[in-house]
Amino acid sequence: MEDEVVEKATSLIKIPVTLEIPIGPQHPAIHEPVLLKVYADGEEIVGVEIGTGYNHRGVEKLLENNTFYKDKFIASRICGICNTVHENCFTRAVEYVAGMEPSPRAKYLRVLVMELERIHSHMIINAIMAEIIGFDTLFMYIMRDRELVMKAKEIVSGGRVLAEFHMFGGVRRDIDDIKRDRLIEILKKVEPRLKYYRKLFENDPTISKRLTEIGVLKAKDATSHGMLGPILRGSGIRSDVRAEDKYDAYGEIPFNVIVRGEGDSLARMLVRWDEALESLEMCKYILEHLPSGSAVVDERKLPRTFPPGESFARVEAPRGELTYYIQHTGGNKPYRVKVRTPSFNNIINSGFSYLGHSIADVPVILVSYDPCISCMERAIVVDLKKGVEKRVTLREIAMGVAAP
Amino acid sequence: MSRLIKYSPWLVHFNTGACNGCDIEVLAAITPLYDPERYGVKLSPSIRHGDILIVTGVVTKKAAERLKRLYEQMPDIKYVVAVGACAYDGGVFKGSYSISGGANKVVPVNAYVPGCPPRPEEILRALLLLLKREKVEETEQH
Amino acid sequence: MKPNRPRFHIDANNLREVIALLKQRLGEESFYISNIIGVDRMAEGIIEVNYFIHVVPLANTIVIRVTVPRDKPQVPSLIDMIPGVYSGECETYDLLGVEFIGNKYLRRGFFVPIDVASKNVFPLRKDAKV
Repeated sequence: MEDEVVEKATSLIKIPVTLEIPIGPQHPAIHEPVLLKVYADGEEIVGVEIGTGYNHRGVEKLLENNTFYKDKFIASRICGICNTVHENCFTRAVEYVAGMEPSPRAKYLRVLVMELERIHSHMIINAIMAEIIGFDTLFMYIMRDRELVMKAKEIVSGGRVLAEFHMFGGVRRDIDDIKRDRLIEILKKVEPRLKYYRKLFENDPTISKRLTEIGVLKAKDATSHGMLGPILRGSGIRSDVRAEDKYDAYGEIPFNVIVRGEGDSLARMLVRWDEALESLEMCKYILEHLPSGSAVVDERKLPRTFPPGESFARVEAPRGELTYYIQHTGGNKPYRVKVRTPSFNNIINSGFSYLGHSIADVPVILVSYDPCISCMERAIVVDLKKGVEKRVTLREIAMGVAAP
Repeated sequence: MSRLIKYSPWLVHFNTGACNGCDIEVLAAITPLYDPERYGVKLSPSIRHGDILIVTGVVTKKAAERLKRLYEQMPDIKYVVAVGACAYDGGVFKGSYSISGGANKVVPVNAYVPGCPPRPEEILRALLLLLKREKVEETEQH
Repeated sequence: MKPNRPRFHIDANNLREVIALLKQRLGEESFYISNIIGVDRMAEGIIEVNYFIHVVPLANTIVIRVTVPRDKPQVPSLIDMIPGVYSGECETYDLLGVEFIGNKYLRRGFFVPIDVASKNVFPLRKDAKV
């Protein structure tokens, strides 16, 4: 960080966000788990340093030391909120290496589970955004309606949060007609709520005043800094892994790629609500057009070792593009597995976008990039002139209480 | 178990490197569907007001120091609940040398909630059992 | 590379030219660098550095592979052309020891804990004892 920036700044706000990024075999014992060091001159931000203090748990080395089958379970525990997409990406990467192809019914069921997860993840981040700007009631309402989606996910896969649903060559459980009817009932209840929240985010003056024109990202900046997912689509670039790679059953299910041109925080949140509505339509389509046949894989007949090969699988996680790269030289343990979660690009490369805004906007912009929530700890505001430290919550920063 | 906090325990939640699965179930446990406020349970604004410390996540070596410090900052009459398989002994991450292997290696734990992740109802039930507000079923002695 | 991702092998010295050509032909809004992945091939004595570039009009990801010798792994940095390589380059340096010449933000301890970094160990190498 340049020294003249530090001199001009009057206060330094350290925002620790612990992300579950599985990079490297080591645990980083960096002195403080500080992520965003925001140098502020009065109210205006003059410099941002992304300090890297993630809690990694040595996942990549762990993946190299275990067999492929155990790795699938470890991979889904990299992130609890988007665990099905991690599983799906790893499973497909191994299927490309081994040359396996799942049955059509299995592909449709995989998409069903992933879309249900997308709905619940977008609801969470919007609830957090409402809470950060002080709209507590909306947070509680969204969380209450989210329970319906969790129930639906439990009916399909057997787990509310961790849906260990995928297996190489297919899935592990199937749904029958009773479950299908129950799912359609639940989706019918969720739909008017999603539409109501979408309308609320667009029309409510509290929300739109805090979110409009904040954190504007031009298309050029978004691509040259490697931002992904709803951030790209909120700035006008039409790029969605589901429409490009057409993996699993996405080639057959009709859906729209949501793009908005404004590039500010409101556009990003509205992209997420629109995507949640699209996912709902896709779930309804899947439940009505499920192909017949068997979906469950007989795990006793799966091979013990896999042929050598190299593959690169991408998946559209709720936060962006998630990629798994596997290089295998033979045997039952992979040679190299590299996981790149979307928050790795979105959060580390995003330091440029806070400059010029005021302190109260920093949590709004950070939450609109969708870092992993519920790991938001307290922030520390350091008044550089007086040398005084004060602990505040992110919510207090957003409501403007924290400025010294 | 102290009568002082039996009817209004305030929770402090600390994530020591979890995958967030247990965290969102703890977050879900404070929402209206499970309604913990009828038991007087709520999330405390700061560590100095907390009565029960909820630990999630595989305790990484760096987070272990902070966990110990946090435990020492809590005022006395305090309990620790370790939520999830990772806080019990490392969960799926057992074998990675960047973890200490469970919350009980760092702080004394009063209750464990098994599961990966446990359901919100289980978490609430563990709290109530700890506060002795729920009857434990007597098992048959043969 | 499966599934149908075209892979190009180029020399490390031509990397900047190739990326500059891509920027010129496609325009800055049509592609982004999605991944920088280093692989340690100890048996052959090389380290491969793969750049995964997603091209939006093609709707596909292309792979540009650069190989460097294991005892002197140096690659020219792209950070002045494409600032988004910051995270990938810093991580590859910290874990595998590949130096990106021109990137002044490289440092040990970006992810790796201080006690391992001070022993000069690069954790993801196959002969690293951690």
